[in-house]
Amino acid sequence: MIRLLNVRKGFNLGKSNEFIAVGGVTLAMEANRVTVLKGPSGSGKTTLLSLIGCMARPTSGRITLQNGLLGGRSFSGGKDTPEVEVTSLPERFLTEIRRRTFGFIFQQFNLVKGITVLENVMLPAYPLGEKHGVVMKRALALLEMFGLAERASARVEWLSGGEAQRVAIARALMNDPPVIIADEPTAHLDSKLSLEFMEIIARLKDEGRTAIIASHDPLVYNAPMVDRVIAVRDGLLDGDGQ
Amino acid sequence: MISGLFRKKKGRARISLRKSSLALTLAGIGVLLIGLMFSHAHLQRQADLPVIDTVARVVANLELTDLALFTEARYTRHPSQADLHSAFQDHPTALEHFPTGSIAGPPAGLRRRHGKLD
Amino acid sequence: MASWIEKNRSILDFTLSSLLRRKGKNLSLLVVYTLVVFMLGSAMFLTQAMKREAALILKDAPEIVVQRLLGGRYDPIPVDYVKKIREIRGVISAGPRLWGYYYDPVAGANYTLMVPRNGAPAREKIIIGNGISRTRILYRGDIISFRGSDGIARNFTVEGEISPESELVSSDLILMAEADFRGLFGFPAALATDIVVTVRNPKELLTIAGKVAELLPDTRPIIRDQMVRTYDSVFDWRGGIVVVLLMMALLAFVIFAWEKASGLSADEKREIGVLKAIGWETSDVIAVKAYEGMLVSFFSFTIGLLAAYGHVFFFSAFLFVPALKGWSVLYPDFRITPFVDPYQVAVLFFLTVVPYTVATIVPSWRAAIIDPDSVMRS
Repeated sequence: MIRLLNVRKGFNLGKSNEFIAVGGVTLAMEANRVTVLKGPSGSGKTTLLSLIGCMARPTSGRITLQNGLLGGRSFSGGKDTPEVEVTSLPERFLTEIRRRTFGFIFQQFNLVKGITVLENVMLPAYPLGEKHGVVMKRALALLEMFGLAERASARVEWLSGGEAQRVAIARALMNDPPVIIADEPTAHLDSKLSLEFMEIIARLKDEGRTAIIASHDPLVYNAPMVDRVIAVRDGLLDGDGQ
Repeated sequence: MISGLFRKKKGRARISLRKSSLALTLAGIGVLLIGLMFSHAHLQRQADLPVIDTVARVVANLELTDLALFTEARYTRHPSQADLHSAFQDHPTALEHFPTGSIAGPPAGLRRRHGKLD
Repeated sequence: MASWIEKNRSILDFTLSSLLRRKGKNLSLLVVYTLVVFMLGSAMFLTQAMKREAALILKDAPEIVVQRLLGGRYDPIPVDYVKKIREIRGVISAGPRLWGYYYDPVAGANYTLMVPRNGAPAREKIIIGNGISRTRILYRGDIISFRGSDGIARNFTVEGEISPESELVSSDLILMAEADFRGLFGFPAALATDIVVTVRNPKELLTIAGKVAELLPDTRPIIRDQMVRTYDSVFDWRGGIVVVLLMMALLAFVIFAWEKASGLSADEKREIGVLKAIGWETSDVIAVKAYEGMLVSFFSFTIGLLAAYGHVFFFSAFLFVPALKGWSVLYPDFRITPFVDPYQVAVLFFLTVVPYTVATIVPSWRAAIIDPDSVMRS
């Protein structure tokens, strides 16, 4: 369960170009479900994603994560509390949580150019200091799972759109995160690839993971495996949808 | 670590050398070579001592005072014997006009007046 | 600990991949920086080795040389002074020395003509240094003509050569008999070029030299220690325009590195954002930049230093010969004995690696502290 309690996020506060991206959102998202944040661009759904994914701190409000979602490490100071409030944690821990709990898939895939597919997939694991052999094996296994084993040593510039998408997903799964966060994943994909993407999401759900997707693509929010659709508009929720 | 260098992939044996391993090895070789450089210098010095001795004896026999390196002008050929004014022999404000002056500065003895013997 | 090593090795892997992306640019950076280190290192090795060599070779130079000054200039000294100097307590011996310069228009070179106090050649015979032998192609038995101050040409037969190993001190020497010398230059019998003095106790050199100056106020004694120290300052690598220029080249390089690092392109900024977004911390990103700087400067240093060593001690610093030779026609052919001062090498290492690495890291700081969500917002 991921909870948001009256979360607000503003930029350039106090200045003339003050902008409130998210204005007082209260939300509870269940684990092992696929949740879609639906809304037009500028609605604040991307900001919400980055807040949920511990990439940014809210200006005010609280965010809590279920202890079981924390990728195996305890941050509650030894106590066995079911939920951890991430907004009160120091920066160090926040980064650690982000690394182990969340896997991100970006709109533009954001693969690092000039290096190989395999290296791209291994990147999230580098700061964790695991043995190189182990990391490499895991990365190759992931690529195999997505049918990309043959392309392991290819430069990312040489990949087709669909291959790049799958590499991005493989990278997101590198540290075996319980939660997948995707921001407009189908924006640069055709219908066929969009449907393929959603099938992969279904598979991840079957594995026990949680998925939170921001999208205004009907192919995404109307997909059968989506458990909940939340409409977002102008930084606020627009009622619940299913 | 050696086993980590070799990886079998789908039936093909592939040698994948980690880039950092290569870089660190090269760096290690570099350090080694620098160490070798020091030992070579030391050994060569020992080997050259007799030659240096020969030259020192010629210096003693002929009562020489300077190296015959810069034969352009008097004061460059015998810098240790040069007087205060030889560098300006043409004109008091004449600047250094021999190329050697770009490498060799004026002798320390000249920069103080005639040493402590005044 | 093991995971720290593993983490840094992984970051190093990424740094290398990153550098290899722009192979051409980074390779040329490495080459140019290596060249700068090579030149600096060569200058350093050459001057240090020459300093030591000079000190060793000149350790048995005359203890005191007494010159006479007239009008502040070096003038021939009366032979009479020898007697007076001999009377000073502590002096074992004193004797007049005859030597001077001869300009040979045929070769365009300056020779040093000398009358050795022991073993001077017979009349009309000369012993020549190897450099002269080479330049004028003169060997035992050949004849060379010198024009005296009276305008009359005199012929001399080469009796022998000074040992080739001593070329560094004898390359341009011509040894001849006293009568020939005086005749050629019109040097009066009552005068000598200078006076050489030997003393009983080397520790008293300064005192005795002081006494000479007192006794003969128009003279200037030079003691052995000063002669050797002349070469210390002549070869001090901190002096000399060449080294100043090279230090400026180094500084320019560091400034260039700083410039390069501060002007991170939009692509590079985006890449840092991606790394932050997938879980890299600011310190990891800084580490990438640090390794980048360290790799380039370390390899530049190593290759440059080793090349400099080879250049100076295996190839007699041939690139510097034009500067060393200057306008002299005669240049001794000698191999420099290696002398490497570890302190100087360490100084060069720090000058090469530290500023460059810092120049690579500091300007990237700004980009490295990008918020991880910037990549989602853009």
